[in-house]
Amino acid sequence: MVEFIGGTLTLFGDPTAVMLFGLGLIGGMLFGAIPGVNMLTLGAVLLPFTINMEAPHAVMLFSVIYCSGVFGGAITAILFNIPGAPENAPTCFDGYPMTVKGQSGKAIGAAVSCSAIGGVASAVVMMAATPLIAGWAVRAFGPQEIFALIFFGLAVSASVGAETLWKGWLSVFAGLIIATIGTDPVGGVPRFNEGSVLGMEFSSYYLSAGIHFIPMILGFFAVSEVFTQAMSIAEGNRKRPKANLEFPSLAEFWAVRFTMLRSMFLGFFAGILPGIGATLAAFLGYSQAVRWSKTPERFGKGELAGVVASETANNSATGAAMIPLLALGLPGGALTAMIMGIFQIHGMEPGPLIFINSSDLVWITFAAMFWANLCIVFLGWLQTKTVVHILNVPFRWLAPGILLLATIGAYALRNLMVDVWVMFLAGAIGFFLRRTGYSAAGIVLGLILGKLGESAFAKSMQLMDYDFLGFFSRPIAAFLIIAAVLTIVSSIWNEIRGRELQKALID
Amino acid sequence: MTRSDTKLETQDRTVSIFPLFSRPVLEWLFWLLLAAVVYSLTGGFDEPIAEYRFGAAGWPRALCAALAFGATGQLIYKLTKKRPLVDPQAEVEPEAASQSLSFRARLQRIGVFVAPFIYLYATPQIGFYVATPFLILAILLLLEVRKLKALAGVTFVVYGLVLLVFTRFFYVALPVGRIETFYDINNWIIALVRTGM
Repeated sequence: MVEFIGGTLTLFGDPTAVMLFGLGLIGGMLFGAIPGVNMLTLGAVLLPFTINMEAPHAVMLFSVIYCSGVFGGAITAILFNIPGAPENAPTCFDGYPMTVKGQSGKAIGAAVSCSAIGGVASAVVMMAATPLIAGWAVRAFGPQEIFALIFFGLAVSASVGAETLWKGWLSVFAGLIIATIGTDPVGGVPRFNEGSVLGMEFSSYYLSAGIHFIPMILGFFAVSEVFTQAMSIAEGNRKRPKANLEFPSLAEFWAVRFTMLRSMFLGFFAGILPGIGATLAAFLGYSQAVRWSKTPERFGKGELAGVVASETANNSATGAAMIPLLALGLPGGALTAMIMGIFQIHGMEPGPLIFINSSDLVWITFAAMFWANLCIVFLGWLQTKTVVHILNVPFRWLAPGILLLATIGAYALRNLMVDVWVMFLAGAIGFFLRRTGYSAAGIVLGLILGKLGESAFAKSMQLMDYDFLGFFSRPIAAFLIIAAVLTIVSSIWNEIRGRELQKALID
Repeated sequence: MTRSDTKLETQDRTVSIFPLFSRPVLEWLFWLLLAAVVYSLTGGFDEPIAEYRFGAAGWPRALCAALAFGATGQLIYKLTKKRPLVDPQAEVEPEAASQSLSFRARLQRIGVFVAPFIYLYATPQIGFYVATPFLILAILLLLEVRKLKALAGVTFVVYGLVLLVFTRFFYVALPVGRIETFYDINNWIIALVRTGM
């Protein structure tokens, strides 16, 4: 506590630190909200300038960018179905339907509050237990546990946004198959980059790099939304969403308290594990919210708990991601790797000794992350009062801007036109998926979790000498696999029971 | 109503297995075909990997099997499912609404899908900076914006903002075209936007 107060006083007693704090906060939020650029873009631009900064200032700046950048993308996800960053993709699932229902204020209010709550809680745990948790989590979570966690996430994701369980599973399988395009995770063998279909040969250098999930997300959500709205305009039956400034009430927050706590927990653990991070945290948080909800059928149609789950989980991952970095010198994602770079630029080495050798740096960073998450509430509130008014602009005028933002976002990813093709194709497919009851969210979940899942499965098999029962020799993996199997069985049971109920009603 | 009448009515409401080209069967065929194509393509990289027994093709093949299983499960589910009682009028309405669309509305619907792909085809040739105003105009026209003021204003604002944010401030590299004249025009626009920097 004394160290935290000391860190806070150091932060706010130094004008340069305050200026950098403000710059990081606004910059992260802005870059997080604009598709095509993200907090990593800002980090990459600023990284060379950190040479001339003091190490605590530089690390603090990047930590603040991390916190606000993860939140920033929620606004465009909710208002226009364009996730500013991948970790905000699940926010689209319910955030945009809420906007369509005229509840944009509520959705943004929930995103703002839950991002702050998740982030603050994560920062508090980070301050209290960094050395302890880091050591345990990294030892206890091997490939088996990561595969079991992903299997559990997939088991739940089949019920997100699809008309029936079967359609949900087919969507997830389709996503998993798309994820196999590229190279295999063990031997680096190129897959699906050449071949022959019905006598027609194809070969693509681009496919060796795989299909990136960002163009797919932009296509499924932003482009397909423009197509859908355009069809409604052509058919003359489009309803305009109303701008709304109403914040969620305390009673509504109370109703989702368990969702928030669950997402906090999931986000925190996903954040600690290297390579998992905020994106998977958001998806897991969302899928578990569906799993435990009494009304899972309302998810994907504008359920407040969906926004709460996703935004709490992704911000909870931010503080947690700093734990292995600071305690063990293990960066879990791209931005934490940049922070690692700052340490190296300044001739420092993160690890257990950093708490003794550079405690001022550690505590100014912890304090900055704590206050940055609190500031999100105020900045987010300001955004809610201003940005929501964009909805008053006719959609016909916004549509070209949305398409262009998505186009630039997809292109800027790897400077490849093929990514833009993938995005528009995904947009057209997404349009038909919506009409046939399949789930775009399921495909995206399969795509994102597929690569990680296959890699963890392959490593697990090698470690367990190809004995599938080996999963049950590790308690966490066994628990997660059993939970996943129970989830699948119970969802099939519910589907059959629902059908029998329907049959009884007909008879 | 006699018992046999009731039985007959229930039978009527059950989806018949016989129409081979009903939607559930077509959907099943689609997924099965997809699984078969993906499976056949895995033959191209079915190489053994020294330290991994399942090889590069193991995981995708398992997914193909899962896809075929899921599709078959869905077909069985749909074919054995009874239709809920619905007003026959209500089922006809969407189709009727679709048929009542004018030729112009149909063209408009096709245009919304086609315009972005024409843009995608043209952009590498004529460059982002030349192609983009045409895309904005095309989308606005397809979305029934007809007022000249709105067409010019929205095109100017959207294009201007894109240039300002992505070209002037963020230096995002966008395609400048392969055809020489357009290449020059694109670079001239970039230079103009970055004047004074």
